[in-house]
Amino acid sequence: MTHDIVVDLGYGDAGKGTVVDWLCSPANGGGPVPAVVRFNGGAQAAHNVVTPDGRHHTFAQFGSGTFHAGVLTHLSRYVLVDPLALVAEADHLVALGVPDALDRLTVDRRALLTTPYHRAANRAREIARGAARHGSCGVGIGETAAYALAYEDDAPRVGDCADPRVLCRKLTLVRDRLSEELGELQAPLVAACVEAFRAFAGSVRLVDDAYLPRLLRRGRVVFEGAQGVLLDEWQGFHPYTTWSTTTFANAEALLAEAGLAGSARRLGVLRTYATRHGPGPFVTEDTALTAGLPDRHNSHGQWQGAFRVGHFDAVAIRYALEVSGGADALALTHLDVAQARADLRICRAYEIDDQRVERLPVGPAGDLDRQARLARRLLAARPVCGRVAGGWIETVGEALDLPVVLGSFGPTAADKRELRVRAGRGAAA
Amino acid sequence: MGSGRWSTDVFDAAARYRAARGVSAFAYSDGGATAVHPSLDPYGVTRRESRDSDEHPESVAIAVLFDVTGSMRTVPRALQARLPELLGLLLRKGYVTHPQILFGAIGDATCDWAPLQIGQFESDNRMDDDLGRILLEGGGGGQKTESYELAMYFMARHTSIDCQERRGRRGYLFLIGDEMPYARVKAPEVRRLIGDEMVEDLPVEAIVAELTRKYDVYYILPHGSSYVGDHEVLGRWRRLLGQNVIQLDDLDAACETIALTVGLGEDAIDLGEGLDHLREYGSRSGASVSRALATIAADRAMVAVSAVPGDLGTGASGGIVRL
Repeated sequence: MTHDIVVDLGYGDAGKGTVVDWLCSPANGGGPVPAVVRFNGGAQAAHNVVTPDGRHHTFAQFGSGTFHAGVLTHLSRYVLVDPLALVAEADHLVALGVPDALDRLTVDRRALLTTPYHRAANRAREIARGAARHGSCGVGIGETAAYALAYEDDAPRVGDCADPRVLCRKLTLVRDRLSEELGELQAPLVAACVEAFRAFAGSVRLVDDAYLPRLLRRGRVVFEGAQGVLLDEWQGFHPYTTWSTTTFANAEALLAEAGLAGSARRLGVLRTYATRHGPGPFVTEDTALTAGLPDRHNSHGQWQGAFRVGHFDAVAIRYALEVSGGADALALTHLDVAQARADLRICRAYEIDDQRVERLPVGPAGDLDRQARLARRLLAARPVCGRVAGGWIETVGEALDLPVVLGSFGPTAADKRELRVRAGRGAAA
Repeated sequence: MGSGRWSTDVFDAAARYRAARGVSAFAYSDGGATAVHPSLDPYGVTRRESRDSDEHPESVAIAVLFDVTGSMRTVPRALQARLPELLGLLLRKGYVTHPQILFGAIGDATCDWAPLQIGQFESDNRMDDDLGRILLEGGGGGQKTESYELAMYFMARHTSIDCQERRGRRGYLFLIGDEMPYARVKAPEVRRLIGDEMVEDLPVEAIVAELTRKYDVYYILPHGSSYVGDHEVLGRWRRLLGQNVIQLDDLDAACETIALTVGLGEDAIDLGEGLDHLREYGSRSGASVSRALATIAADRAMVAVSAVPGDLGTGASGGIVRL
């Protein structure tokens, strides 16, 4: 029994949802998966899953395996939980014939709560930044994380939802502190939030730290990452990042606590081309591709900004692999698009100030000044792109020196192909 | 990544969770109400009046204010169910000829969205309407404090009752709950919730002193609530109200307890007679009421000793022995 950690090696949107859905489906030969565990991000996640019978859901806080009967979701302490969005999402799942998503959910009491005050502050700040915006999703993830750093003891947590007085006090503090900083926030009354958050606590099973180790011993678990490594709070291209650790690190920490350190398969997810939502460095961006490859589930976001498309960026992905400690295998999505578009290229190097760069320098995690300098350099970089000779699966496997174990040729689990890994490197269909 | 496409409307979410659990709120709250009903909103109210009239020439003001958070949510239900009995006892047994009853609800001004709800003094079943409009809170438990002091402030300064003003007889005020008042009536809360231009906070002791000039104030602590037997809560109220702290082991007996307390206060009955009346009305709450009122009845009997020594033999002790 091997647990999987699924992480997007790019800027997000590579197809974690469809990969997790497939891992949880009977088609996958690894055996049944009883649970999906989330280990970063929060309600900003938008993991699209389409079932073979045509139902579509954008998973935000429920695990992307939820379409499969009985598959549980656990939100670990690293998740920023938004109880308001959660129930709206559950209702949509009910409409799609999944009546028991809330019953299949467990949430760690220590997880932080995203509140309407965080959300309102997030939007107020992005508006104030004007053209210099960071590409925030506008759901309050950054504010939630920043507030918890500044006021660790006062940060509202999931467990507080069961204690209305504590919750009320903490919510009032969040509102007052953020209002003091940003002016009056467009957000509902504290009492209204308390009522809704209490209802959340009454509807969802809240668990303590003993729960996950038990779950991990009970059967195969898929750790579903959010966002992408290139958006990582410490290793991404500051300040165009998220307030979340998007590498394998949090999942590994949870496994280590259960005595299972290093035992999981680390699966990196990639598209055959690159995408980026919102502003920030995107060296291989190609406006022709942006125009020619509109995304089924992604478009211009009110808060995130434009959805941009570019060529496969082996330089950036190698950087992502290096800063996240490497992966064991890859899942490659949008192979159907690659088959249809002969103009997709692969970028193996950048030109920066007339110098050829194949490897981006990796610094110690957490030096944000350094990351900001790197981001500025990347904004001036030009891609050196080449044709993909032979198949995409082989080309990507060789460029990254990793086996591609899953190929996706369409949105549903039925469009996935499990690939036989060759000895050495690369893979064949 | 994406843009958070699920609704984050707070009211929507509360309703969705309730629907998911098949739970519904109560009365006015059932309609999805999220704010104090206008007829119960204390903001800008000059005064609630209990007035004599041709029909009710000797009105007696009786105010019942209860905590509507947490475990106390069931109080309005119990009161509504027993209201006919309360009126029946008061009127038919002649404890009070012309009662005028006001209902109100107490929340927490630092948090709840209905920190104070105050109905009108009514002589008939219109008081039932006020009960039905009360918004029930979801909160409760935790810090042991609710905004009782704000309710007491309103009753002290924004009610006008003929029984006291014209005849020098105090009205009755019952506070039902399981927590303590905050230490001070806070000026910003008074401005925000009642609309008075208040500049400085007021210690709760000062407002109790004002209030008890107008009303006999009783605090009823029902058993089964969080802080029964809690010395801090009981002690706090005893320091404020002395003997008039009533511990009640059956919440359903709240109406009977109020009725008999008024009967005792009006010197219309002693406890034994009151308990007889309860039995007569088929109430099963006699034992609870007896335990709850033993102290008050004994106190009144003591008063009676000095005034009418011959009454000693029919005092409270006899009633208690029977149970």
